[in-house]
Amino acid sequence: MFSTRSRSDCVHRERASGRIPFAGARSSVAMMGRRLVFIPSSLVLALGLICALALALSPSAGGGAPSVTLEFWTISLQPFFNDYVNGLIAAYERATPGVKVRWVDVQFAAVEQKLLAALAGGVPPDVVNLNTETTARLAERNALVDMDEAVPAQARARYFEGLWRAGAVRGRTYALPWYVVPNVIAYNTAIYRRAGLNPTEPPQTEEEMIQHARTIKDRARVYGFMPNVDGVRLLHRFQENGLPILSPDGKRAVFNSSEHVRYLGRYVDLLKDDYFPEDTLRRGYLGATERYSGGQLGMLITGPQFLLRVKKDNPEVYAQTFVAAYPRGKGNTLHLATMTVAVPRSSRNATSAVDFALFVTNDENQLEFSKQVVVFPSTRQAAADPFFRRGGAGPEDVARKVAAADLPYARDLSVIVPNAGDLFRVFREAVESAFYGKRTPKDALDWAVRQWNARL
Amino acid sequence: MADSRFGLSRRQWRATITAYLFLGPALLLLGVFTFYPVAFGTALSLFDYDVISPPRFVGLEHFRELWEDRFLWIALANSTKFLLVVPVLQALSIGLAVAVNVPLRGIRWFRAAYYLPVVTSMVVVGLMWRWLLEQDGVVNYALRTVGLLDRPISWLGHPDLALYAVMFVTLWKGLGYYMVIYLAGLQAISPEYEEAAITDGASRWQVFRWVTLPLLRPSILLASTISAIAALKVFEEVYVMTGGGPMFRTYTMFFYIFDKGFQQLDLGYAAALAVVLAVLVMGLSAANFLVFRQGGWSYY
Repeated sequence: MFSTRSRSDCVHRERASGRIPFAGARSSVAMMGRRLVFIPSSLVLALGLICALALALSPSAGGGAPSVTLEFWTISLQPFFNDYVNGLIAAYERATPGVKVRWVDVQFAAVEQKLLAALAGGVPPDVVNLNTETTARLAERNALVDMDEAVPAQARARYFEGLWRAGAVRGRTYALPWYVVPNVIAYNTAIYRRAGLNPTEPPQTEEEMIQHARTIKDRARVYGFMPNVDGVRLLHRFQENGLPILSPDGKRAVFNSSEHVRYLGRYVDLLKDDYFPEDTLRRGYLGATERYSGGQLGMLITGPQFLLRVKKDNPEVYAQTFVAAYPRGKGNTLHLATMTVAVPRSSRNATSAVDFALFVTNDENQLEFSKQVVVFPSTRQAAADPFFRRGGAGPEDVARKVAAADLPYARDLSVIVPNAGDLFRVFREAVESAFYGKRTPKDALDWAVRQWNARL
Repeated sequence: MADSRFGLSRRQWRATITAYLFLGPALLLLGVFTFYPVAFGTALSLFDYDVISPPRFVGLEHFRELWEDRFLWIALANSTKFLLVVPVLQALSIGLAVAVNVPLRGIRWFRAAYYLPVVTSMVVVGLMWRWLLEQDGVVNYALRTVGLLDRPISWLGHPDLALYAVMFVTLWKGLGYYMVIYLAGLQAISPEYEEAAITDGASRWQVFRWVTLPLLRPSILLASTISAIAALKVFEEVYVMTGGGPMFRTYTMFFYIFDKGFQQLDLGYAAALAVVLAVLVMGLSAANFLVFRQGGWSYY
């Protein structure tokens, strides 16, 4: 209001004094005169603007305005963790005068592409949250800061050794491990009852899980589960069942043994008999979470953090949810998805960025984050906190206890190979061709192994 | 005239300068957003470039690699199949244009309704149809309710169906656009021709087949050329609905270029693919002009 009125007053006054060009000009002489007045006034204005800009951009402007602004990208943390991340940033800014952090939250599916576009455009974020596979792909291209070099040994020792090395490329670590999330089984007790199953007896083995899924489909007329066997996730399942992906020297693919073929064939038969939906192969965990939230899925194999989504989407289903441990296979291990925090090499503030990444992943902040949602810290001291041994009545409390008990068996089973994009594409195609009956499981895996070996 | 330069009078100079001033803004925009990217992309096809490291000149290496690239042939086959949309879309659009070209009360509302999908973002359309076509979506529910299906189908997940499901969405979205082109074409046809045919005893079908349709040729040429180019360049539908899967059955040329360039970071190779696609599009457009030459060249 104020600015509008004063500007318009100003225009009236200037018109009256003839300083606004062409306003009411009736003769060329008058116009010329006004032009001559206009030029110096424009120059004064331009100089004024330049001075103002220079003042605004000078480091000392505003008495201690930040000299470094870090851009921090996270994956799908909004809106559930706004308070936590904003608090984290505020604490860092208080502790580190002169540094300001700008937070950008990106959807999981978009983060790699957005990051590549930012790298290509020369405007990379300074600190970015990735998963192990994306970290490895970018590290392979030498796009990330080498953390073995950038982080002092004393700080490195805070992290679990296995997690520090998860996703290492050529023996070097290119990201700080942040939080880890082992899978659990969330199951709908109402569906269990409808199927005549006892909700207090969740499946203990993968075979039992399959049997429960069959019973649910046959009796309750909804799908029992959406197994994590789409594309690359089948590689994790193989390893959980003690089936190797690569030869010990890492130079040959070996996932076409009769055991591998039998494992894939089992799920191919289950799909053929309609014991899990075809969508499983396309929609992955998001599709499964949606279906479970809609009360149309008996068991949800998930990272416990997705229970928050179920709680928000359908509190009724959440209230019927029990949580059980994810059954361990013959490999006696579980895939542990690891979130990392990386710093692009092209960051203009790499030193400050590494410092902020260390702050995000320090004991105190990781412990605080683990209290917000069922995730586990990657640092020893935070993980030793008694909080993780405490139980509770809600699905999330149970999930925390169950997952904590599984942690000793869990490790990141991401397959780190050169040309990972190409190889995973081939593997996905092979698996889909088996599921859709275009190839037998044996032919599909043989073909994929040949393709991998030609590229490894 | 004393002031004539290059044989142009002052008046001609002024007209020429005025003309260039009018052409200027459009030329500038075309230069920045079309000519420069075309030139840059063509040059890029001769380099290896992954965004992170500096570009490395490789000459025609990418073009040599193309012939052995399995995915190029997959993508080309899918894009060629996608061209099947063109005749179906044209036939349906002509039918729809004829249907709404009647002086009925409220017919404008129908025209606007058919045009609505055209002005809706492809991402929104893609997401909407993805939900409708999901295994637990409305389409399966409706088909099962009327007894046409025993068990729900994953329209976008099945390798034999996914491409056709995506093509259907392209067709649904494009219908209104081509309807408007044909509607304009129909309204440009003088009613005297049709009246003369009717006077001579022609049936409604005969009038349409032998009078209206031949006179629509310029519109058919325009619409089918635009539609064929759009079919070869299909991307958003694939990106939103299938991501190129399953089994690369919806992996089209444009999607491959995107995938190679922005997901695999092989921008030089992606540029080479784009050059190949551009040549194909130009060839196809020329062929289209040849097919509809009669009534085609004479108008353009």
